Amino acid sequence: MEIEEIRGTFKPELIPKETGGDLDDYEDALHVLMKFMGSMSSALEQVSGRGANAIVYQAGKRMGHESAKMMEKTENLEKALDEMGDVLGHEFYFEKWKPSGQSSYTTQEGDQVVIKLLFMDCVVRQTLRRTGLPQKGPLCYLLYGYMVGAVEEVMDIKGKIDIDHVGPNACLKTLTITWSGK
Amino acid sequence: MVQIEIDEDACVGCGSCVEDCPNDVYEMDEAKNKTKVVNLEDCMACLSCHEICPAQAMEHQDIHVAKRLYIDRKVNYALDRII
Repeated sequence: MEIEEIRGTFKPELIPKETGGDLDDYEDALHVLMKFMGSMSSALEQVSGRGANAIVYQAGKRMGHESAKMMEKTENLEKALDEMGDVLGHEFYFEKWKPSGQSSYTTQEGDQVVIKLLFMDCVVRQTLRRTGLPQKGPLCYLLYGYMVGAVEEVMDIKGKIDIDHVGPNACLKTLTITWSGK
Repeated sequence: MVQIEIDEDACVGCGSCVEDCPNDVYEMDEAKNKTKVVNLEDCMACLSCHEICPAQAMEHQDIHVAKRLYIDRKVNYALDRII
């Protein structure tokens, strides 16, 4: 395939208005990044073993704290999750989920509140499928970290997330927050 | 609301979907030796059953279909011309 070179005049500008590419260029860039991420993830796992999960989790957590800094602080978990849904956007599109026999989304277990989240659109899952890597690996920890970091930032509380089930179209996760864990 | 159609002609009765579904949406119909939907309300459309079914015997309707940006459209285009 022939590579098209872009030639033109370039002047210094504060905020570039043109990207100099089209949808195909975005797609190519995305796929290269997906392959790069997948390769990094498997290499990290090969070198660090289970420590890879902790590294990626920490990176995600930092991103989560950073993203949620501008969000309104609240002690209401459902309100916090609604707000986080807007921040995470369509690339990590999630909804609250409950089994049909349960009356509310949240359940109280001692000083812990538990809620199930269904992640439908996830760039991590797409990256794993692009690179042929299994789900629940180190790269999934990026999203756990991200969610936990954002919850901690918004609610000023300790949180953790566990995977219940992974699928090709959606993943079910359990978010647990501990009230005494400030 | 999600609807699940099982193609009984295609279903081989292996029970993989029954074992794989985390929310017990499916059950084996022992008389017919086919799978059947018994708990539709708890289906979260993860589509693990699609992935594990060797006969592609099920279809989910009216669900959120996740974006599939991992698909390489150029490869698909090339395959379309070959196949």
